[in-house]
Amino acid sequence: MVERGVDLGVDIGGLRLRYPTLMGSGCYGSGEEFAAFADLSKVGGIVLKSVTRLPRSGNPMPRLVNTSAGLLNAIGLQNPGIDWYLEHEVEKFAQRPCKIVGSVAGFSVADYAYVCERLAARLEIAAIELNISCPNVASEGETFACDPRLTAEVVRAARGVTKKTLIVKLSPNVTDIAAVAREAEAAGADALAVINTVRGMGIDVERWRPRLGNVAGGLSGPAIRPIAVLAVYEVARAVAIPIVGQGGIETLSDALEFFLAGASAVGIGTANFTDPRIPERIADGLAEYLAKRGLRSISEIVGKANLGFASAHEYEGDAG
Amino acid sequence: MQVAQSRARVHATEVIDRREPAGGVVVIGLRASALAAATRPGQYVMAVPAAGETPAVALGIYEAEEERVSLLFFIAGKRTRELAMLRPGDALSLLGPLGNGFDLRASDRDVGIVAGGVGIASVLLPALELLRQGARVRLFYGARTAALLVERERFERAGCETILTTDDGTAGSRGFVTEALANAQMPKLLLACGPTPMLRSTAEIALRHDVRAQLALEENFACGVGGCWGCVVPITGASAQAPPFPPTPNGVVYARICREGPVFRADELRW
Repeated sequence: MVERGVDLGVDIGGLRLRYPTLMGSGCYGSGEEFAAFADLSKVGGIVLKSVTRLPRSGNPMPRLVNTSAGLLNAIGLQNPGIDWYLEHEVEKFAQRPCKIVGSVAGFSVADYAYVCERLAARLEIAAIELNISCPNVASEGETFACDPRLTAEVVRAARGVTKKTLIVKLSPNVTDIAAVAREAEAAGADALAVINTVRGMGIDVERWRPRLGNVAGGLSGPAIRPIAVLAVYEVARAVAIPIVGQGGIETLSDALEFFLAGASAVGIGTANFTDPRIPERIADGLAEYLAKRGLRSISEIVGKANLGFASAHEYEGDAG
Repeated sequence: MQVAQSRARVHATEVIDRREPAGGVVVIGLRASALAAATRPGQYVMAVPAAGETPAVALGIYEAEEERVSLLFFIAGKRTRELAMLRPGDALSLLGPLGNGFDLRASDRDVGIVAGGVGIASVLLPALELLRQGARVRLFYGARTAALLVERERFERAGCETILTTDDGTAGSRGFVTEALANAQMPKLLLACGPTPMLRSTAEIALRHDVRAQLALEENFACGVGGCWGCVVPITGASAQAPPFPPTPNGVVYARICREGPVFRADELRW
């Protein structure tokens, strides 16, 4: 979308968005929940809640804990399973005025490929995000994203069943996120979403019990933003494919950090719970920011914070 | 359980009055005519903070009349502390009305309302609606201590009979409000809002006496609109077998308190 002479559109590995914003998976339902009061024509796209091969009831309550500048969640991938989803849900997405990205989660390589193939076959779905990094399921939900070899296997399997844009969502809960990113790219990913939530826990000191029904959860919100910005920065230096930067973005300035670190679009999740108008405000603010500097597109700022280093050797990725 | 078509909007409102019926309890009145017109008894709003520093907080709609909506809340954390600092003239964004609300019928002639703590905020509107229909309305109202039985005169003035209890015996009878309910002549319909143990007891009493009961659940919401599936309660029966709920392998169906609720029938909850 051209506003103030600035083109806010971006291309994320073949997925063309009119605005450089994606509503984070699990934070925005199917879009319908927000449609009454958020202008969906002013967001780039919605990443749907993850769907799995079989229905999942999700985790016991409590599923949410507010923390300082953040939110711990352990929903547990509650979803109706791909059969029900295709029959009852997917057709609704045709009505949305923005791009719809399906999100696939699984517990085996075969699961991912199966769900990905069936979901990607639907016209309503413009692209697929592979959620290989859900920290909130008892078994191996996040194992895929924590092992570069498994990441590659899942991405290769998904690549084999669809030509649609494949976005691979990476976990921050790894030692070397760049290594996982490289594997995902080599296996055929079109884009990367960086990052999923950071593992965390809260304890009720009156009752001496974990605050979450699942004990462990995923932390989102402003508390994780610096973690996410660095992850985007490191991944951007490791791969050539576009990055959707996400983690605690609430303001224009937050979003700009991600673009400058190397993201081509930004994901907005938890902030929608604070104020559903935030994505629209960020888009407006971006147009103004770029126009004021005589810039005509988002691409002119992507990764520009990297200029601080003359070569890769000057940055070793070690804060110490 | 009835899932209502969402009429929620973001309303730019202005604080027009403020009072503290007790220490730590605040009622703020807001100019919000569109919100007032759209509100049904038992619905709530998400109060959207101006600074974006804290997440939105869910508050029951206490009053809704003509151009004014009011919110009654207890100061319990950072977010409610911020809201308590609002003064007449200040702006506040509200997202709402949200949730299904109570299902009230003209045939409900003898109704008991059970309220505990901040739950009182969600039961004035249904009480007024029922009284307007000519029903007998008894309010079973419990609090820690007499001073926290806020707004009881408001209900009495409107025509409710009040049955009070306090933990310390400083007003009404000492003990739980549900004990007072169990000892009373049973109404034909029960509405309840308050802490979960109170709601559970209310549900047990209702089921034991074969009385219909509608419970407004309190939970920590993140999105408040059904987008995150963070506030759920296990349900059973017909509601659990219709969209958006597919059959699940273990038979447990979690409904969203913010979306399918916050009001559930006692017989559809599986807790």
